[in-house]
Amino acid sequence: MTEATVFIIDDDEEVRNAMVLLMESVGLNAMPFVSATEFLKHYDAKTPGCIVTDVRMPGMSGLDMQKKLNEIGAHPQVIIITGHGDIPMAVDAMREGALDFIEKPFNDQRLLDSVHRAIEKDAAERGIAMRLAEIQDRVASLTRREKEVMELITQGKRNKIIADELCVSQSTVEAHRAKVMEKMQAESLSELMRMVLSLEAD
Amino acid sequence: MFRIPKPGYLELVILLLLVLSASLVEAVEQIKVGVLSHRGDEATLKLWSPTAEYLSLTIPEYEFLVVPLDFDEIQPAVANREIDFLLVNPGIYVVMEVKHRISRIATMNNLVGKNKMNLFGGLIFTAANNKDINSLKDLKHHSFMAVDKTSLGGYQMAWRELAANGIDLHSDMKVSFGGIHDEVVQAVLSGKVDAGTVRTGILTSMAEQGMINLSDVKVLNAKTSDGFPLPHSTSLYPEWPFSKLHHTSNELAQRVAVALLAMSELEPAVQWGEYAGWTIPLEYQPVHDLLKDLQLSPYDNIKAFTLIDVIKKYFAWLVIITLFIIVLVAMTLFIYRLHRKLEESKFVLEQQHAQILNSVADGIYGVDLKGNSTFVNQAMEKITGWKANEVIGHNQHELLHHTRMDGSPHPAHECPVYKTFVDDEARFIDDDLFWRKDGSSFPVEYSSNPVHDEQGNTVGSVVVFRDISLKKQSREAERKYQDDLAHVARLSMMGEMASGLAHELNQPLTAIATNADACIRLMETSSDNGRVLEVMEKIGKQARHAGDVIKHLRQLVRKEKPTLSKVDINKLIVDVLVLIKSEIDKNHVLVKLTLEPELPSVEVQNIHIDQVLINLIKNGIEAMKQNDINERFLFIESSVYNKNAIKVIIKDSGSGIPKHISDYLFTPFKTTKENGMGLGLSISQGIISAHGGKLQMDSTGTAGTVFSFTLPLKAGARDD
Repeated sequence: MTEATVFIIDDDEEVRNAMVLLMESVGLNAMPFVSATEFLKHYDAKTPGCIVTDVRMPGMSGLDMQKKLNEIGAHPQVIIITGHGDIPMAVDAMREGALDFIEKPFNDQRLLDSVHRAIEKDAAERGIAMRLAEIQDRVASLTRREKEVMELITQGKRNKIIADELCVSQSTVEAHRAKVMEKMQAESLSELMRMVLSLEAD
Repeated sequence: MFRIPKPGYLELVILLLLVLSASLVEAVEQIKVGVLSHRGDEATLKLWSPTAEYLSLTIPEYEFLVVPLDFDEIQPAVANREIDFLLVNPGIYVVMEVKHRISRIATMNNLVGKNKMNLFGGLIFTAANNKDINSLKDLKHHSFMAVDKTSLGGYQMAWRELAANGIDLHSDMKVSFGGIHDEVVQAVLSGKVDAGTVRTGILTSMAEQGMINLSDVKVLNAKTSDGFPLPHSTSLYPEWPFSKLHHTSNELAQRVAVALLAMSELEPAVQWGEYAGWTIPLEYQPVHDLLKDLQLSPYDNIKAFTLIDVIKKYFAWLVIITLFIIVLVAMTLFIYRLHRKLEESKFVLEQQHAQILNSVADGIYGVDLKGNSTFVNQAMEKITGWKANEVIGHNQHELLHHTRMDGSPHPAHECPVYKTFVDDEARFIDDDLFWRKDGSSFPVEYSSNPVHDEQGNTVGSVVVFRDISLKKQSREAERKYQDDLAHVARLSMMGEMASGLAHELNQPLTAIATNADACIRLMETSSDNGRVLEVMEKIGKQARHAGDVIKHLRQLVRKEKPTLSKVDINKLIVDVLVLIKSEIDKNHVLVKLTLEPELPSVEVQNIHIDQVLINLIKNGIEAMKQNDINERFLFIESSVYNKNAIKVIIKDSGSGIPKHISDYLFTPFKTTKENGMGLGLSISQGIISAHGGKLQMDSTGTAGTVFSFTLPLKAGARDD
């Protein structure tokens, strides 16, 4: 897993460089961009981290960039910085999934806290996604009968009832059940149920 | 002479001979002798041709001819030199002597009975039986007969004698004329008239011929004279003279005179002529006197020189002279009146002149070529405090114009009033200084116009000046108003830009704060001082930049008397773009600068030019709001224009200004913006023209709108 990076987008070179410096001063990896368009060109959803962007810029604005990212299904953590924030703009930004909305000039701690939070959240989101993918992989390894059995198990049905519903012997159900638990790497029924629920919640 | 002899054969023969000899001897020069033909031409020829023949014989180089002349013919014949000699009675002779300078060369001896007489007189007589008339005085109121008006012996002599005796022949008596002597004698003796006059010798002659009896005649005023045997009533006068005309040569005249004087009374010609030869020419003064007395020709114009005579004679002249004098007097009066009128007009004009001069609120004074004042009006006295007598004849420049506004002396040769003489050009100076008597000064505008004499030479100038203190004040007020207006517009503009400007200020502040924070963290966590120092420098730079922005903002917003300064327009443009950057960014406008490097600096009020630039840039941004985000371009160009100005062009890529708006572009309070005042362009235009430049819209349309303004390179600021 690569290091989290703070993407800083601001047309004002001074401000941009200052923010980069601030990030670096606390050991964060920062990457400056002069405009939203420029950033989108280099954007790679696999890179963890967060985005710190100015709202008002020539060409594409910060909010527009947010919308664009949402459109392509990427959901990076975005911190909006504004020199002249107003409530409608803040609401807009939050609705589009911004993590925070900070007015210039900002308190460094406030920004850094926000950035850390964003990176954590990003990392967390990235962790959940990985686990889900694992579970899905495990589910994918199940046979059709095993999937049916897992479904019925997670519904809380007993082996006997499952055997009746599937018109198989109770011992067959038990064999399938053991196979499911093995393939899903579930040590208990409750763990298996959490896995299945997390998939459904996704 | 007085009787008519019968012509005989001999006479005819002589006549024939005369004619023959005249035709035969053609080479001989003809000399014409004019003879008074008072008895008819035939008788005259008969009487005088023998004498002419005598002369021809005696002086053979010439042929003498008799030319009978009537009374009327004599004058023209003499005047036209048709004759060479003249034989007439003394009266006519005297006339010709006076008028044509003829001169007598011999006087005829007449034959009275047996006696030779070269004198004759007049006889005044009545019938012996007339008891009423015994002296000349008795003749009054009686009838009287004379021979002829031209007769000397038979009329004029008696007239003179009577006049000498106090009797006017014409008013005191009834005068008639008999024509010939015999008729007069017969008329008196027959009692037809009471008295008469004839020449001497007539009565004797008639008595000898038995025609009358001398005892029947009573002679009045009878006189006797020595050597003159006959009774006579008047003075005696010389007989007929033989005279030469003026053109006749003296030599010939001499020879004729000698020939005539040599004639013996026995000479046949003498006998034919019934006279008694010739004597030396007598004095004809008595005849002159007689004619003068009687005021007859040639003395008919002299008369007695009485005032009445003068008046009569010179009546026409008198009338003319009188008229002339009247005209002269009238003209004199006319001229006098004219003169008076002119004087009056002059007076009125002078008064008017003075009134006009003095009713004018402007000071007026005249200046001669030496620079001395020639006149001043009251306003001049009032404004300057100088009295007319203190100014007239004194140097106006030294009194009024000696020092400049900045306190430096104003040399006379630089005085516009004097320059007016030199180049003969009228001048108007709109801002200068005049000095009062009390040493204070006041701002003036004045004109100086050359004055010419009749020949067109410049003789001085007239200066009309006006105290423009009030005007200056109002100009100041106007300028202040303009400044205020510009200021209000700036404030309004700043208001519109406030959020953008705040952002603009926020940027450096953000950078500063962030950098500072970063520095602190860097110093806490590492010992990389080099990096920290680098950032600190940045912080300082950014802080100064922020300060600049604020300073600029304050200048724009603050209302203070702006000053002219040398400015690089390119820098001004870049600075302004900083202020307006957020506005530009917000509207996604791409600014493209084409600034001419090495642009000369201009002296301007930078705040005002900033205002114009911001206004134009804002307008450009505004114009592109409907454009696609990627098609919003603002071009700003600077260049040197015509070598004497800087031109700034601001061009947008908007869709142009509709006609109904472009017509009112520069009209104040016309706006299309919701929160605009409509002052931007009109104020901008005012600002640029105050700098001596020009702001205009060059074009507008779908390709965008182009505004441009110029700023002159040389001290362009006009008013303020």
